Amino acid sequence: MKNGASKQITDQTRDSAFLEDVRKTVAGKKILNCIQCGVCAGSCHARFAMDCSPMQIIKMIHLGLKNDVLASSTIWICASCYTCTSRCPQGIDIPLLMSSLKNMAIENKVPAKIPTKPKFHKTFTEIVGKYGRMHEPQLQVALMNKKSPKELFKNARLGMKLWRKGKVKISPSRVNKKSDLEAIFQNALKKEEQK
Amino acid sequence: MKYAYFPGCSLESSAKEYEMSFKAVNKVLGIEAVEISDWNCCGSIDAVHAYSPKLSLSLSARNFALAETMNADIVALCSACFFTLSRANKMLREDSKLKGTVDKIINDAGLKFTGEAKVRHYLDVLVNDIGLEKIAQNVKVPLKGLKIVAYYGCLLVRPPQIRSFDDPEHPVSMDKIVEALGAESLDYSDRTRCCGASLVLTDEIVMLEMTKDLLLSAKNIGADCIVTPCPMCHFNLDAKQKDIESHFDLKIDIPILYITQLMGIAFGVDPKELGLNRNVVPVNKVLEKLKTPVQVAPKA
Repeated sequence: MKNGASKQITDQTRDSAFLEDVRKTVAGKKILNCIQCGVCAGSCHARFAMDCSPMQIIKMIHLGLKNDVLASSTIWICASCYTCTSRCPQGIDIPLLMSSLKNMAIENKVPAKIPTKPKFHKTFTEIVGKYGRMHEPQLQVALMNKKSPKELFKNARLGMKLWRKGKVKISPSRVNKKSDLEAIFQNALKKEEQK
Repeated sequence: MKYAYFPGCSLESSAKEYEMSFKAVNKVLGIEAVEISDWNCCGSIDAVHAYSPKLSLSLSARNFALAETMNADIVALCSACFFTLSRANKMLREDSKLKGTVDKIINDAGLKFTGEAKVRHYLDVLVNDIGLEKIAQNVKVPLKGLKIVAYYGCLLVRPPQIRSFDDPEHPVSMDKIVEALGAESLDYSDRTRCCGASLVLTDEIVMLEMTKDLLLSAKNIGADCIVTPCPMCHFNLDAKQKDIESHFDLKIDIPILYITQLMGIAFGVDPKELGLNRNVVPVNKVLEKLKTPVQVAPKA
């Protein structure tokens, strides 16, 4: 859906619970304050790669267009740079909103326009669960497109260069108190499911 | 002054030279930065947050709990960690229901936090606690003749609602350090534009496009090098510069230094201690421009 809400909106395309679900999130509390001024859209450095602007996403939430919002590329492209939020006259935390929308897309199993993104979030979280810290090489390898010889070659070349520069830490750095991690991950993820 | 130092994951690997030069600068300026014992991932701005917001906040909270026993301000070097910890701190202080949920999650691990520890970025400490005068007093090799772009990146001074030590649209604190070291800081239009951050892993072409613009506008105003205080920006500008050149068929060739590396050079610290041989785009041509040229031995 290039250019946002240009299609005809029918009762079938709307999900009346969606707006309320979004408003339950921390960033969603303020979204009814949006005045559609477009400062976020004009400020966004990644807008060129998005199908809808952040302003359009907010309007689409108001209209209950759940499927269109969760299937947009916008929610995945947002790099959380916070330019929009520092300029938003209504103080809406748009990157945090995008983060919550990603969470909803993952939970609702909506196919992501940027296919590697859900895997990025999952793998990142799993690595942090394992060590308590990020281990960069594991994340890089997990996300590589192993079916493309060109990409494999390119990544191997960059990996070698970084290795020579002493920028690759082979053995992951770990948190010593593993029981802390286990308790946090178990409790946080369990409570997430009960939500 | 004592600080509770939060390194963040990249400082242990891809941004090792940032930590090395940070320690060297601390030695010169007498800054006591004690690493938070057994710290964990900051919680991430978005990577863990999109997967589970409560998990992300709980990870931040464990770091707060560990740091609070130190009775010192938390100081982060990575802009993304700084931002994530600041945001979590604010969210948990302002939303008692949310704090209650996170308390329950971490209490099982025997952890408690109040949210009283202040989260700060190292640049803030340098400019506001140490001061430009002291920085200038320690210069042994004035960086005369160097034209430098200070690139702040997006998260360091944003958004103003969270905590800001500088102007969110046109920050100047790093420019002032550059000038205190004797170099010329250039008026740079893209100082807070986003580099594309973690899109490097998931949507590389978009990131290449975003970082290309930053590099080209620096080149356009005749920068000898770019300095940054963020490991993520550094990775995209430095390690990915060759990929940008080949993807867009361009010649850029601008060295990217951490602000602490530049300070170390001006303080006369041995380049080996600053990890100058770890930067992907060679920094030699910056050093050769100095009146007292500094030699970097190639990494074996």
